[in-house]
Amino acid sequence: MYSIPHFIIPDLILLVFPFIVIGSRLFCDYKSKIPWRIANIGLMLIFVLLNLIPLASGEGQFFISNWRVDDFGVLMREVLILSALLGVWLSKDYFEHGADGKPQMHQIAEFIGAIAFATFGGITVVSACDTLTFFLGLEIATIPMYALTAWNKKDQMGTEAATKYILMGSVATAFELFGFSYLFGFAGGLHFSEIHAAVAAGTSPLLWVAVLFLFCGIGFKLTLFPFYTWAPDVYEGAPTPVTAVLSVTSKATAIAFLAVLVYGPLAPIQEQIAPLIALLAGVTLFVGNLGALKQSRLRRFMAYSSIAQAGYIMVALLGPAEIGKTAIVYYLFVYAISNYLAFFVFGIIGHHREETFASLRGLSKQNPSLAIALAISMFSLAGIPPLAGFFGKFHLFFSGATTGHYMLVTFAVLNNVLALFYYIQLIKSAWVDEPDGHLTPLRLTKRQRAVVIFLSIGVVAIGFLPFLSNNIFAGFNY
Amino acid sequence: MNLLNCLILAFLLFGIGVWGLMRRRHLIGMLISIELMLNAANINFISFAYFTAHDATAGALFSIFVIAVTACEMAIALAIIVSMYRRHKSLDADQLRDLHD
Repeated sequence: MYSIPHFIIPDLILLVFPFIVIGSRLFCDYKSKIPWRIANIGLMLIFVLLNLIPLASGEGQFFISNWRVDDFGVLMREVLILSALLGVWLSKDYFEHGADGKPQMHQIAEFIGAIAFATFGGITVVSACDTLTFFLGLEIATIPMYALTAWNKKDQMGTEAATKYILMGSVATAFELFGFSYLFGFAGGLHFSEIHAAVAAGTSPLLWVAVLFLFCGIGFKLTLFPFYTWAPDVYEGAPTPVTAVLSVTSKATAIAFLAVLVYGPLAPIQEQIAPLIALLAGVTLFVGNLGALKQSRLRRFMAYSSIAQAGYIMVALLGPAEIGKTAIVYYLFVYAISNYLAFFVFGIIGHHREETFASLRGLSKQNPSLAIALAISMFSLAGIPPLAGFFGKFHLFFSGATTGHYMLVTFAVLNNVLALFYYIQLIKSAWVDEPDGHLTPLRLTKRQRAVVIFLSIGVVAIGFLPFLSNNIFAGFNY
Repeated sequence: MNLLNCLILAFLLFGIGVWGLMRRRHLIGMLISIELMLNAANINFISFAYFTAHDATAGALFSIFVIAVTACEMAIALAIIVSMYRRHKSLDADQLRDLHD
């Protein structure tokens, strides 16, 4: 017998957590709030426990040689758990009444369970040390998302979005798997150290084909350029809280997958695949920005915005491991907060009106604090200096510039100006445009008000107190 | 029978899957095409495990896991497609056009 090492406890709690939440439904009636309370307590407990894990530089700690908890892993866990917690809070109101022309959803316990499973998948991806665990993690993170997209059975759009998503997602899985099989054939083993050794010993066409297939597969999930077309449809058709979870958890998992792969087993050929990454990043952020320009519906707009953000994050993958991984984690944290703030505001508006640009008109007169929160989140996503998004983007571009990719960084910064244009259009609808006719009053629940205030302060504080980010950057290394 | 033959077979299967996915307009047909692509990867794993790998069990193990994961994925896909069918009374992929720019 051996004792369970303490750094694995949060993972174990998260693993049994969905079963407890879903199981608690058996012992209480339909209207009961017990599953909801268990979910809140459980997720917050995991978040607190994660913060207690000391960050240790180097290889990280191992659990039966196949489960690694390193600094990148711990911080990614925090991002994923935060995303799950905010997603659960955002979804609560959608189980009480319908919104955005869609009927009310049911089965909150199972919904929370599915989000927790997807989060566990993300955690598996950042902890994996062999391609089998890695692949399983990605699948655990994706499969609940298909079900979540179709959660609203009475909503036709949701079902259609889920059909598109699962067809595209399964094709992506097939591509990835084909890549993994060639990688296995090339290295002769599954463990990352074996693959690393084989890649360092020399390349062959088999390896390049494998890399190409892997990038095709993950390109679907990360909504990179030629494979992004499903994203706007799925983001629009899915229920709003699911869209928010998709845009943060699913994206964080996909980018973590790439970071683990590029800085782990494929590290010896990072320089050779840099042109591929640079090309994908550049085209993706350009296409995302162009697409966002002509949108009128909010969730579709957020889809294109998140495609562009994926492009920006890809820029960091060009840098050296330490700077690149740090920049990615920091930006994901900032992106999660800003994105959820935007979705909370959209959700509050969506409970009373349609989620379109036109519904935002007159918001500054009707509810100034909500309009300020919206402006904060949009400016942060656009990367305006005093806010958190600026520092996040700065570190991403810095990472890309460290290895001399000045052309791409310049292109990304210029694109940021383009992005600013459409983010400001959204703010304009909320602040400048006059409302047409009478506005239905907006009611905020206590939870919504508290979360919006908390997230707004978070976005501003991380930006205005740069020493916070300096501490994060100085506090750990890989 | 050698490694190259197996790899060519797997690649052809994968190609047939991609081709079928693009040509078929029937949702079940598309799912079967995806299944072909996944099984092509399985053949790759098994043949690499049999011919070259120094860790032969790993390859066989991987394909068993793939079969299980695929079963989960197909279960959810079929559930979603059934709810699609209840609404439209048809399984034509061309009816997926309510969501667009």
